[in-house]
Amino acid sequence: MTPLQDFFDPGILAQAAFAVVLTVTFAGAMIAVLPRNILYNVLGLILCLTGVGGIFLYLGSPFIALMELLIYVGAICISIVFAIMLSYPLHLSLPKRKRPKVAGAFGVALLVFGVLISIIFRTPWQPAAVRSTDWSVNTLGAYLLTRYDLVFEAMSIVLLVAILGAILISGTSGRRSS
Amino acid sequence: MNSLTTYLFIAAALFVIGVFGLLQRRSLIGMLIAIELMLNGASVNFMAFNRFLAPDPIIGQVYTLFIMGFAAAETAIALSIIIAVFRRIHSINIEQARDLRG
Amino acid sequence: MNLAWTQDPNLLAAALSALTPFAAFALIMLFARPHARLSAGISIAAVGVSLAGAVFLLVRNWSMPVPIQITGRWLVSGDISIPFGFLLDPLSLLMLTIVATISFLVQVYSLGYMAGDPGFSRYYGFQSLFAWAMLSMSISPTMIQLYIFWELVGLASYFLIGFWYEKFSASEAGKKAFVMTRLGDIAFFLGLLVVLIHFGNLNILDLNGPQATERLSPVLLTVSALLIFGGVMGKSAQFPLLTWLPDAMEGPTPVSALLHSATMVAAGVYMFARIFPFFSHSANAMTVCLSIGTITMLLSSTMAMVTRDIKQVWAYSTISQLGFMVMGLAAGGYAAGVFHLTTHAGFKALLFLCSGVFIHHYETNDMFVIGRHGGRGLLIPMVCMSLAAAALSGLPPFSGFFSKEAIMGVLAGQHNPIWLAAGLLGAFLTAYYSFRLIFIILRPHPTEKVHRGTHAGHGNGHHAAGLYWVMAWPLIVLAAVTLVLGFFQDPLEFFLTGLHVVSGSHGAGHHAWLPIAAVGLALAGTGLAWLEFGRRGAAQVGFVERFPVLRALFANRWYLDHVYRRFLDYVIYGTFSNLFTRNDRRVIDGAIDGMCRATIGSGRLLSFVQSGMLQYNLMVMFAALALVALGFYFLE
Repeated sequence: MTPLQDFFDPGILAQAAFAVVLTVTFAGAMIAVLPRNILYNVLGLILCLTGVGGIFLYLGSPFIALMELLIYVGAICISIVFAIMLSYPLHLSLPKRKRPKVAGAFGVALLVFGVLISIIFRTPWQPAAVRSTDWSVNTLGAYLLTRYDLVFEAMSIVLLVAILGAILISGTSGRRSS
Repeated sequence: MNSLTTYLFIAAALFVIGVFGLLQRRSLIGMLIAIELMLNGASVNFMAFNRFLAPDPIIGQVYTLFIMGFAAAETAIALSIIIAVFRRIHSINIEQARDLRG
Repeated sequence: MNLAWTQDPNLLAAALSALTPFAAFALIMLFARPHARLSAGISIAAVGVSLAGAVFLLVRNWSMPVPIQITGRWLVSGDISIPFGFLLDPLSLLMLTIVATISFLVQVYSLGYMAGDPGFSRYYGFQSLFAWAMLSMSISPTMIQLYIFWELVGLASYFLIGFWYEKFSASEAGKKAFVMTRLGDIAFFLGLLVVLIHFGNLNILDLNGPQATERLSPVLLTVSALLIFGGVMGKSAQFPLLTWLPDAMEGPTPVSALLHSATMVAAGVYMFARIFPFFSHSANAMTVCLSIGTITMLLSSTMAMVTRDIKQVWAYSTISQLGFMVMGLAAGGYAAGVFHLTTHAGFKALLFLCSGVFIHHYETNDMFVIGRHGGRGLLIPMVCMSLAAAALSGLPPFSGFFSKEAIMGVLAGQHNPIWLAAGLLGAFLTAYYSFRLIFIILRPHPTEKVHRGTHAGHGNGHHAAGLYWVMAWPLIVLAAVTLVLGFFQDPLEFFLTGLHVVSGSHGAGHHAWLPIAAVGLALAGTGLAWLEFGRRGAAQVGFVERFPVLRALFANRWYLDHVYRRFLDYVIYGTFSNLFTRNDRRVIDGAIDGMCRATIGSGRLLSFVQSGMLQYNLMVMFAALALVALGFYFLE
C-alpha cells in the first residue's frame, strides 16, 4: 500500500496550504468591505483576521499568530459584534450607495495601491548584515520587560486611558437621556 | 513564493482594501472594520520586514504586539464615540453627520 | 520777545487796528457768550481802538512820500515769495478809516436795535469778526492776503445775514449770498493764479508798478484782469451776480448798513481801486467792466422803482451805486471812484440806519404801512433819511453831489457818449426812487391815515428813551458827515493821487454844462416822485406800475432769479448732480458691492468642498498622501 504522501509533492502541499491561507484572508477582506449587511462584514473581518494569523505563522512567529487570534478575533471583533447588536436596528433598510463615491473611493484606493507597489518593487531591499536567529517567546518576554519595557508600560497606560475615556464618552447608565 | 515582495504585496493589498472600505462605507461600524483591516495590513508589513530584513527578529514582534494593543484601545474608544454620535444624530450613517457642512 | 515792533508807531497802530477786533471776537465767542452787555462792551471797545488807530494813522501819514510796507516772511517756494503784513498807503488808510468809523457807529447803534435779542453776544462776536476781517483786508500788502480776508469777510457776512437762523428765508439768504459770491471768488482766484504763474509774485505794489506790462503779455493782462473782476462781480453784486444782495436784507438792519452798503460790498470796488494801475493796462478789460457796471446800475435802478420794502429799495440802490462806482473806475477815474465809495459809505449807512429805526419802531418793512402809521412822526430818522436821500440823488450841497459829479466828469471824458447818457439816466432814476420812498412815508395816502394818533403814543412808549438816543446819535454823526464831506473833495484827491500817476484820472476836462444837467435830472426825478407820491391827493402809483408787464419785470428782478433757478435745476442738479449721484451709486458703490458679491459668490462656489462628509475629506487626504509619497520617492 502506498502512503498518501507519495502521491503528493511536498512542495505542492506547502504551496496549496499557503494559497488556502491567502484565499481565506482576501475572501474575508472582501466580505468585510463589500456587502451591505454589517454582520456579514464583521464575520468577514473575523475570517480575514484568522487568515492574517495564518500569514503570521508563515512569517515565523507562532506567538504573534496566536495573539492575533486572541486579541483581534477574540476581543475586538466580539466587541464590534456587541456594538452592532446594541446599536443598529437591522430591520431598517439601508439607502443606496452613491456611484460617484464608490468610484472615487476605488480610484483613490487604486492610486494608493499603485504607489505602494511601485515603491515595493523599486526599492532594493537589503537584509541586515548580521541577523539573529532567536525567535523564541522567552526572549520576547524578556525583551518586553527589560529592553522594550516602555512598550509594555505605554500599552498599559493607553489601555487604561482608553477604557476610562470610553466610559466617560459613552456615559454611565442613567446619566444622559438618549 | 516565499520572498519579501510577496508578503509586502499582501500587506499592501490588505491596506488598500481597508482604504477602499474606509472611504466608501456609510456606517460607522463599517468604517471601523475597514480601519482594522488597515492596521492588520501594517502589521503584516512589519512582520515581513522583521522576517527578511531585521537584524533582531524580536523587534518586529514587539511592534506588532504594540499595534495590536493599540488597535484594541482604539476600538474601545471608537465604539464609545460611535455610541455618542448615535445619540446625537440617531443613526450610524456617517452621511448624516453633516454639521460641518459649509 | 522782541518788542522792537512796538517802537514803530505805524506798525503798532496798524496791528492794533487790525487785530484788536479779532481778540474781541475770540473773547466773546469763547467766554462772554452768556453776558450780553459784556460782549457788547468788548466789541465796541475793540472797534473803538481800531478807529483810534485808523485815525491816528491817517493823520500821521497824511502826506507820506512813499507807501509804507511792513511785511514778514511767510510763503516761500523757489522764486515765489508771498509775505504777510501791512501796506499803508493813502487808499488803504482811507478805507481803514471808513470801515472803522462805520463799524463803530453801527455797533453803537446795535446796542439799541438788537436790545433784547437772545443772540446779542453772538451778534457782537460776529461784528468783531467782520471788523477784523475787513480792516485786515484793507491793509493787506499782497493779493493772497487780501483774498484770505476777502473770504473771511464773506464768512462773516454769511453769519450775519443768517443771524436769525430759525427763519428759513434768512438761512437761505445767507447760503445764497455765500454761494453767489463764491462763484465770483473762483474767477478771482483763477485770475490770481494766472498772475502768480506769469508775474512771479502777488505784491500789490509790484502789480501796480511798471513791471506788469513787462512780464505779462496784453492777452494775459486782459484775461487776468477779467478773471479778477469776477471777484468784484461777486462781492460787489454786479450783473449777473446781483440777486444775493436784496435777499441779504434778511439780516438785521445794522448788518445791512455795515456790510451790505458801506463796507463789504465796497470791498470789490476797493479791490478794483487797489490794483487800478494793473487793470488800466488792459483797455478791453476796462471796457467790459464799464459795460457791466452800466448794466448793473440801470438794471437795479429799475428794480428799486417798484418795491414796497424799505430795505430792498436801499439794497437795489446800493447795487446801482456800486455799478456807478465801477463805471467811474473803469472809465479811468481813480480818485472819482474812490471818493464816491467814501461818500456812499456815509450816506448809504445813514439811510439804512434810519430805515432801521422805522423798522424797529413799527415792526414792518413795508414803507406804505410805515407811512400809514405815521412814520414821519419820528423826527430825527426822517430828517436824516431825507438828507441822505438828497445826497444819494446828487443834490447839492451834500456829499453825493460832489462825488457823482466827479464820476460824471470822468464819463464825459470817454469817447462814446453812451456811458454818460447812462450815467445821467441813472441819476434821474436814483432821484426818483429815493424820493418815492421819502414821499410815501412823508405823505401817507389820505384814506389810510387813520391810526396816527394812537400809534404815535404806542410807538414812543415802546422804547426806553435811552435806547432811542443810542440809535439816534450815530444818525446825527453820519448826517453831519454827509453834509460836510463833499467839501473835502480836493484834499482827498490830492491825498489819493498825489503819489501815483494814474492813467485817465479826471483830467478829462470839466464840461461846464455837466453839473447843471446832472442836478437838473435829479430835480426832475424828485419832481416826478413828488407828482406821483408826494403832493396832496397823489394817487401813489408810480408810472412804471401803470404797465403791469414792466412792473412784473422789475419786481421779479428781471427774472434773473428764475434763470438761476432753472439753470440750477436743469444743468446742475439735472445733469451734473444726477450724473455724479448715479456714478456714486452705480459705479463706485456698485464696484464695492460687486466685489462683495464676487467674494461671496466665489465662496459659495467653493463651499461645496466643505461638504461635511468625512469620507470625501479622507479621499482627498489619501490621494494627497499617495501623490506626495510618489513625489518624494521618484523625484530624488
